[in-house]
Amino acid sequence: MIDRSYKELLKLGRFPHTWCPGCGIGAVLKNVAMAMKELGWNNQNTSVVSGIGCSGRMAGYMNLDAVHTPHGRALTAAEAIKTVRPDLNVVVLSGDGDLGAIGGNHLLHTSRRNPDITVFCNDNEIYGLTGGQAGPTTPKGTKTVTSPRGEHYQPLRLNRILTTQAPYFYARTTVYHLNHFKTCIREALLWKGFSFVDIISDCIELNGRRLGFKTAHQMFKWFEERFHIAEGVRDHLKDDELGIAKKEVEAEVKVEVEVEQIPEVQIEGLKLFALEELKQFDGTEGRPIYIGYKGKVYDISASPLFQGEKRMRCHIAGKDLTRDIEIAPHGEELLFKFPVVGRLKE
Amino acid sequence: MKPRLNVIWNENYCKRCILCVEVCPESVLSLERDEIVEKPGCIRCYQCERYCPDVAIEVMDG
Ligand SMILES: Cc1ncc(C[n+]2csc(CCOP(=O)(O)OP(=O)(O)O)c2C)c(N)n1
Ligand code: SF4
Ligand code: SF4
Ligand code: SF4
Repeated sequence: MIDRSYKELLKLGRFPHTWCPGCGIGAVLKNVAMAMKELGWNNQNTSVVSGIGCSGRMAGYMNLDAVHTPHGRALTAAEAIKTVRPDLNVVVLSGDGDLGAIGGNHLLHTSRRNPDITVFCNDNEIYGLTGGQAGPTTPKGTKTVTSPRGEHYQPLRLNRILTTQAPYFYARTTVYHLNHFKTCIREALLWKGFSFVDIISDCIELNGRRLGFKTAHQMFKWFEERFHIAEGVRDHLKDDELGIAKKEVEAEVKVEVEVEQIPEVQIEGLKLFALEELKQFDGTEGRPIYIGYKGKVYDISASPLFQGEKRMRCHIAGKDLTRDIEIAPHGEELLFKFPVVGRLKE
Repeated sequence: MKPRLNVIWNENYCKRCILCVEVCPESVLSLERDEIVEKPGCIRCYQCERYCPDVAIEVMDG
């Protein structure tokens, strides 16, 4: 039995959809809809956002609030929606070119800010919509329209870029490894924070045929040769591994700050200073540095500010600083560390 | 919607990508004269339905 209620989330009235026969984008759309339905996500609590490209058509086929953004800007719109409506589930459905090339800057910075959104990247390793040009994830050596002798450059390693700073959730799967694919989708949707699923998918028409594949299934078999499922919980994935690399934020170590008890200083018997007298104690000619505060005289000569080669000139020496310290935050506590040497005449 | 022996095929959604034909472990499906047809031997494993990217084939339940 298959639970077919996921179809409520698809605009079947617009089917057959626009994608080529066997294109993996249809599988991404369908399996994301299935997982959302299972979790009870619907048009009351969920928004989907797409960029531009064949993959960018996905949001428009969902019976949900859908945003079709300019090329590369899906993450900006998604983060904005999540910011003003934190109660909504926000999901991005787009392509490797849209998210990794023109949208690459947003990918870096949105992931860094870690909003609670999920990104499904249909990674067909090509620019499909525009005719099969090499894109950021095209493997080195691949023949494309723009690299007839084989792509010259190294691809962008999303698995490495998106797993540099915890917290993170990066999954790589394929449209062929169906059970694995479904697990990745579900876990990503449930992850609190920014989650990214890199779905290796087929562009059979404008990539596969040039590489010699006749059907989508032949490309699937090629995915099976190139990738294998990594066992266990991972914090990183190698370039040929499928799996989930995730890391929670490192728990902050909370230091209990003990409030120091300031001992009441008995000042009755101490010397009484007039303001005029106090002025002499300015640190010059080997004299100590005294300042007045709330009726007491403190010796601040031991302060690190006035020690060693680069010692500061003491502008506050010999003054009553009651008002100045009261308006400076934390001023008092610092002063209480110094010895009281006398009383100040009113 | 065209019922076969064990599957129902939607000729309007179907794009003839033959993914269902190629994933079927019993090789009972084929594309003939632009139609998906089924010969006996289906084990109702649902692979065709699970893989179809076009929501164009369904296995009869029960
Ligand atoms: C600002 C801007 N630059 C370039 C384009 C042309 N363009 C449209 S889709 C696309 C690439 C899409 O690639 P990808 O995200 O991989 O999607 P696919 O079509 O492969 O699914 C480009 C470069 C555009 N529409 N807008
Ligand atoms: S061009 Fe490629 S990515 Fe676009 S619909 Fe066709 S197969 Fe899919
Ligand atoms: S997998 Fe679906 S779209 Fe492809 S031929 Fe079979 S029924 Fe048609
Ligand atoms: S249910 Fe399984 S055996 Fe039957 S046609 Fe589909 S793939 Fe083949």
